[in-house]
Amino acid sequence: MARLHVVIPALVHTFIRSKTEYPGAMVLGWLSQFAAYGSMYTAISLILARFGSLGGWVWPEIALLLSFHLLAYSLGASLSFVQFREMEEKVRIGTMDAILVKPVSTWTYIVFSGLNIGYAGHIVLALGLMAWSLTQVDVTWTGQSSLLFVCYLISAAMIIAAVMTMIGATALVWVKSNHLYQIFFGFWELARYPLNIFPLPLQLLMLTFAPLAFMAYVPVAATLGKPVPLLGDYASAAALLAGPLVTLIAMAHWRWCLRNYQGAGG
Amino acid sequence: MKLAAYPAFTATAFQSRLAYRNQVWSGVFGELVFMFARIAIWTSVFSTVASDSVDGVTLPQMITYALLAGPVLYWDYSRLLRDVGTAVKSGDIAVYLLKPLLYPAYMLANHTGNFLFDLLTVTVPVAIIIGFTVGLVPPASLFHGLAFLPFWALSFGMLFLLTTILGLAAFWLMTADSLDWFFNSIMTLLAGGIVPLWFFPGWLAAIAGNLPFAWVSYYPAAIYIGQLDPSQALTAFIIGLVWFAVLLGVLLWLWAKARHRLIVQGG
Repeated sequence: MARLHVVIPALVHTFIRSKTEYPGAMVLGWLSQFAAYGSMYTAISLILARFGSLGGWVWPEIALLLSFHLLAYSLGASLSFVQFREMEEKVRIGTMDAILVKPVSTWTYIVFSGLNIGYAGHIVLALGLMAWSLTQVDVTWTGQSSLLFVCYLISAAMIIAAVMTMIGATALVWVKSNHLYQIFFGFWELARYPLNIFPLPLQLLMLTFAPLAFMAYVPVAATLGKPVPLLGDYASAAALLAGPLVTLIAMAHWRWCLRNYQGAGG
Repeated sequence: MKLAAYPAFTATAFQSRLAYRNQVWSGVFGELVFMFARIAIWTSVFSTVASDSVDGVTLPQMITYALLAGPVLYWDYSRLLRDVGTAVKSGDIAVYLLKPLLYPAYMLANHTGNFLFDLLTVTVPVAIIIGFTVGLVPPASLFHGLAFLPFWALSFGMLFLLTTILGLAAFWLMTADSLDWFFNSIMTLLAGGIVPLWFFPGWLAAIAGNLPFAWVSYYPAAIYIGQLDPSQALTAFIIGLVWFAVLLGVLLWLWAKARHRLIVQGG
């Protein structure tokens, strides 16, 4: 098995070089995504400006929620989304067979040979909005609370990468799985609003089978000291544990799918 | 090519979508989630005000507006943009140039088929589900109900023209990927699909209300729920027609320019 500290930088370097071959398209992509998210957030801010609050959250708190949602998504998806969205195609045309016989972990190869630097526009917007909102919300920052906030973020990014991996891995068995991303992005859309505005069954769903409430709402609510439906005082611990737990489930699912991979036939 | 031949492209596009039936239920799911998110947001913010209506609009009217301005009027333009971009990038556009057809008219016929497919298989079921579970309101009056129909046709034409004009930019940029995001950013804010213009600050509403994007979502949906009286509706329709004529002129001019500078990559 090849040494990872050599292989991973080489894979990332190769992919980044291939992307920077077209710098104009790359920068245009960053700017356009920045504009698209910025526009959506402006629309949400207009609602808040007219009505004052959404589910008891005022604009700076919503801005923190939106920025956390975007940053966690960008970090997790840069390691997973485009790579695993292409899994269906890899299985269908047989490229997956070639990846399986490489002398490097299959997951490592897929993730790092496509490490997506296209999320730079997302990250710049998310960090900017987060920096502003953190100065506006009523939170007393200490060393411990800052460390906790970073751990929440890592846990949330783990959830994204884990769920994307699971959807991609499903293509190894079903051949087709990209329609599951549409379902994922449905819950992803809901995850950027306070969970308490949704009906109870949806709240329950987003805290269990589709755990995207942990990608932004639960950690941000725990940071702001806001009550979290169904979890109450356990919100902070749950936000920390959700990422590792979903990752463990994703690892088991990935291995099961690899064991049951038979190709697309033919 | 005779005009009568174009409906065949519409029928073919509709039939080819039947082959991807799993896209239907995931499409219904996606639109339902979109709608329930909007319903939850409007229900939440309307609960913070003391009266039943805000700016003369009640919550059921707002939910109806969200359905019309979103899934009904704001159809999947990305597919059209992607088709134009791919045809330019792959060089397939050259094949269309060899055929005795007008490429923009072919795209209109083709995407009318896609629009009808999505309308029948995704939008109508979503509207029925929302109607039975949450409730939708009928048009404000017979006039508003009848006026909605030409505004709907104008909205379809306007979104088609805007998207195709943007898609033709791929002749110069060689990619339509970023254009999709840029267009999305403009439409999100200025079409009034997410936030109606009456909730905008006055100066922004005045600007957005005179740009062509507002005829895609805002005006048709606002007319349905009775936010514009008959004289305002007629004025809006005439201005919309002027915008339509301008955009059509731009499209034909751009197409004439684009096909003379076609560069097909590769050998």
